[in-house]
Amino acid sequence: MELTTIGWLLLWGTAVGLDLATVAQVMVARPLVAASVAGWIVGDVQTGIIVGAVLELFALEVLPFGAARYPDYGVGAVSAVATAAGAPGMLGIGVGVAVGLVVAYLGEIAIQLVRQQTTMDVKRRREAIDSGDVHTITRAHLRGIRRDAQRALGLAGLGLLIATVVRAAPPVTVRGAVLLSAVAMGVGLGTTVLSGVRIARHARGGWVWLAAGLVVGTAWVVVQ
Amino acid sequence: MKRVMLSAATRLFLFQASINHERLQGLGMASAVEPLLRDLDGGPAGKAYRAAMGRAAGFFNTHPYLAGFAVGAVAKAEHQGLPEQQVDRLRTALKGPLGSLGDRLIWAGALPATAAIGLILLTVTHPLIAVGGFLLLFNAVHLTLRWWGLGAGWRAGVKVTEALRHPVLQAGLKTAGPVAALMIGVAIPVVAEWLTEGLDWSERWGTAGVALVTVVVMRWLAPTVGAARLGMLALAAMLILAWVW
Repeated sequence: MELTTIGWLLLWGTAVGLDLATVAQVMVARPLVAASVAGWIVGDVQTGIIVGAVLELFALEVLPFGAARYPDYGVGAVSAVATAAGAPGMLGIGVGVAVGLVVAYLGEIAIQLVRQQTTMDVKRRREAIDSGDVHTITRAHLRGIRRDAQRALGLAGLGLLIATVVRAAPPVTVRGAVLLSAVAMGVGLGTTVLSGVRIARHARGGWVWLAAGLVVGTAWVVVQ
Repeated sequence: MKRVMLSAATRLFLFQASINHERLQGLGMASAVEPLLRDLDGGPAGKAYRAAMGRAAGFFNTHPYLAGFAVGAVAKAEHQGLPEQQVDRLRTALKGPLGSLGDRLIWAGALPATAAIGLILLTVTHPLIAVGGFLLLFNAVHLTLRWWGLGAGWRAGVKVTEALRHPVLQAGLKTAGPVAALMIGVAIPVVAEWLTEGLDWSERWGTAGVALVTVVVMRWLAPTVGAARLGMLALAAMLILAWVW
């Protein structure tokens, strides 16, 4: 991978990591978006959209209520595409998704560390903050962004490092790579079924709407 | 006033920048409300401003997209010179309803619905249209809520709960869940077919089997495991099997 490509992937990884919760939340952190753009950066859009679709199925599980913990699928998706890019057909998808899930999970842990650091930062300045000192409040707030940017950049760097190692020494044979892809898709699809069930349970007439959707979707597939 | 509202609205996009275990979004609340407090008696150097900022930075947690309601309402209450306890009660009273409303409207409604639409579009059209369509649809709801919420909170002040009963918001609340359920229902077979079209029939049945096992494990055997962890376990098991084989 060229240095320029690595630079753009790091930049994009940092941006999607920040979008997860800290800055804007315009959902460029969704795997569907993060992976597609990463695919475009590495010059393999097709792999980007497939990896993005599989990881999006996983991410549909996340309902970030309150201060819930959830994986950083955005940076995970960027790492997954960096791993899978260039592999023909289905061969890179499973391995890419595996790397993506590991990075997403590490991202979840890193978010907790960042929040702990911010908590300590805020505790140290409790008196000034409670007295309404706008400079202290603003600086503590902005340090939160810097901390999360460092987390996202570090995570994206680690993801690219893992991707490079995996690409240099693929852990499976061609047959194993296809089976790995099938397993990744299976877990993603099962997760989506459960997400649909969870949403249907809490929505008025949700079961009927979910069933109607399944019928329409199946009919669509059959007709095509 | 418009400039000040614009400044507060921009800061709403950083509402969760300093989320922490002590005050959660407290500093984000203070940062967003700050432009609206500058013209309190005495200006930014005055006692009223500092006291209001100190209160604003206290513990706060709500849905980030609906935080504008609270920011506007709290700023208005401070401008009206309401007693400290009443402002605190307003903040406390808004956290739960705004959080619950946002969770149902966005996290369990608009987000899964638009993401499912994006996935469906991905199978039938150019990726740019799919990704762009998802971002456009979702952010139309998101940005409207952010901007309208801030204005509605500012106009209503302590009567902000009346703004939450707006017919459009209530209609959105009623339709968000069903639309999400419908779209996920459509997406499951369509995306499954699209993803597995490169696999042979035995591999397709294998994928369906893994999906079934995932449902059983996450629904009944280990409901707290989470998709990412289960995915890692399944893929690690597959890797080991592949090596042994």
